[in-house]
Amino acid sequence: MNSIIFLVLRRMRVPLILLILCYAIAMIGLTLMPGIDDQGHPWHLSISQAFYVISYTATTIGFGEIPHPFSTPQRLWMLFSIYLTVIAWFYAVGKIITLVQEPTLKRAITEQRFSRQIKHLKEPFFMLCGYGETGSNLLEALDRMDLRAVVIDINEARLNNLQISNFHYDIPTLCGDAGLPKVLETAGINSRYCKGVFALADDDHANLAVAVALSLLNPKLPLLCRAEQETMAENMAGMGATAVINPYRSFGELLGIAIRSIHHYNLEDWLTGVPGQNHLTIEPPPRGRWIVCGYGRFGKAVVANLRQEGIEATVIEADPTLTGCTDCIVGTGSEAGTLIEAGISDAVGIVAGTNDDHMNLGVAMTARKLNPNIFVVTRKNHHFNAPLFEHFRADLTMQTSRIISHECLGHLVWPLLTTFLALMKRKPSDWVEQLYRDAIHHIGQWSPETWEITIGQEHTPAISETLDLGQDVPLAALLRDPSDPEQGLRCIPLLHVRADRKRTDLRPDLMLEEGDCLLFCGRDSAQRQQMQALWNTNTLDYLLTGEIRPNGLLWRWFTQRSSN
Amino acid sequence: MNTEKVVFGFFIVLAMTLNFGFFIGEYNNPLHHPVYELFAAIVVNLIATVLKFGDRTQIGAIHLSTSLVADLQLITAAIVWSAVTDMGEVPTSDLVSLGSVVSLSGGAFLANVTSVVVLIVETVMTRR
Repeated sequence: MNSIIFLVLRRMRVPLILLILCYAIAMIGLTLMPGIDDQGHPWHLSISQAFYVISYTATTIGFGEIPHPFSTPQRLWMLFSIYLTVIAWFYAVGKIITLVQEPTLKRAITEQRFSRQIKHLKEPFFMLCGYGETGSNLLEALDRMDLRAVVIDINEARLNNLQISNFHYDIPTLCGDAGLPKVLETAGINSRYCKGVFALADDDHANLAVAVALSLLNPKLPLLCRAEQETMAENMAGMGATAVINPYRSFGELLGIAIRSIHHYNLEDWLTGVPGQNHLTIEPPPRGRWIVCGYGRFGKAVVANLRQEGIEATVIEADPTLTGCTDCIVGTGSEAGTLIEAGISDAVGIVAGTNDDHMNLGVAMTARKLNPNIFVVTRKNHHFNAPLFEHFRADLTMQTSRIISHECLGHLVWPLLTTFLALMKRKPSDWVEQLYRDAIHHIGQWSPETWEITIGQEHTPAISETLDLGQDVPLAALLRDPSDPEQGLRCIPLLHVRADRKRTDLRPDLMLEEGDCLLFCGRDSAQRQQMQALWNTNTLDYLLTGEIRPNGLLWRWFTQRSSN
Repeated sequence: MNTEKVVFGFFIVLAMTLNFGFFIGEYNNPLHHPVYELFAAIVVNLIATVLKFGDRTQIGAIHLSTSLVADLQLITAAIVWSAVTDMGEVPTSDLVSLGSVVSLSGGAFLANVTSVVVLIVETVMTRR
């Protein structure tokens, strides 16, 4: 607030001095002009009276000639005063308006508001540096999960875009370079509520700058970086980044997973989707010869993963020298000639993976025309093209920003989910298929909420108390509906961690202990109902024993007596 | 020589001298306390205050606060004077009130002296 007041005062010096001088001149002049009252006595305005008259004249209110009608010299002086003071006022008002519209002042005000918002934010929050496609995707997911976030971006237009987006929470935004220490500090990296930083700019250098600044200012804070080049990724990891995400490599790996075992892909996609978003079950991609259009960083990762799976891949690339492609067919892929040359008729799948959405759709459409049975994988670069991709109905559509935001959430928001996904990757395909089918059947096609529970006094007081009494609490108690114990809750326990032991196949008769961590997925209604059993001893008691116990001391005593 | 410094010093010293001119004299003699001098002191004090706006240093803050004190005292004096003389309609007859006008301006004078002292100290310290 201070800096704004000083800025305004400094700029207002000239108009204010001008105003004071004009008032002084007008007032002195008015007191000197001789007047004659209705009885013919000569009179002069006193200084106080002159101040009164000039005050209402200068502000264009105009009460008239007070206390007596003015004489000619007084009127002449008033005429002069009117123009003098009114112009001075207009000048001052104009100056204030210009000042309000000035970018420096506007920026000072928004920064002030931002730092106030951060100071009042008394909840854990995450910091997003860079608000592009990935940032908005991640922010949407965080908002949906009731997690607070702060956004920094260097581009004001993008932040304006954020302001008009429909979010549940008010999201503080700051326009500035996140690599600057001052900007990071204003955004609250030293706040004890800051739980982690996401450096998501599409410029590796900007992300590296954030990593460097953070490693010096607050090395303990978890940091997730996006990096497109391997050398940059290594640099960031060296700066102490918790995880570095390479969207291209992740994308290639994901396609590799999809080809190796589609169930793994489906389960992961279902679990990590934004809760409530529709999830599409993908049919298994065929094995055979594939065509990959575009051999950029994305294409390279895809080809490497395909070859790792023992799948032959034919590459189509428009500029082989630039991309360093030795054995490929030259062309864009959207024209039939190139695709026929690449052997579209006997290929089983095609990946349209250039960085141009329309080109990708063009390739996919031409390919489907030439070979209607081909499995089409498209890369979606921009969120705003989503309707086009929905109309086209590719067999598999991959969006870089979504992949990155999934990984971000996994690393910083749901550490147990990341553990579970890592364990799942090592499971056989039929195990994953079974779990996936059960989950979809039990919970639904929409992506579920996932939540973690740590057994302890802080988060589950009811369970802790029951355990302290020496009673056993089986996992089953957390899976039944407190209002109707015959009914199961629409949730599934995925992972149980006790000390260093991680278990995935969970039976309902598993006995819980203090300090256990559990990961669940399910509907949000199930989470709310489960919460009752965690917090309310009576509810838990009812779930364990099936009878409603008396609450109050008197009733308890009475029941004990009558049972004896 | 810096024009800004000249103007700044001029207004601060002038505020003090005008203030002194009004203050000096027998406290109960209206002839010793011309109201035009009070008016001039207020105007010059206000200008001096505005000139001190926007300086974020410690010395700047003291400058501004002394000026604000002087403004407050002088404006109060002017209001008392207006009230007593019925907006200047009648000559000052209430000598007790005249005394309060003069003593208020005396307080403002002290604030102005502080301001001038600060100005001199600042000048000596920079040695330029």
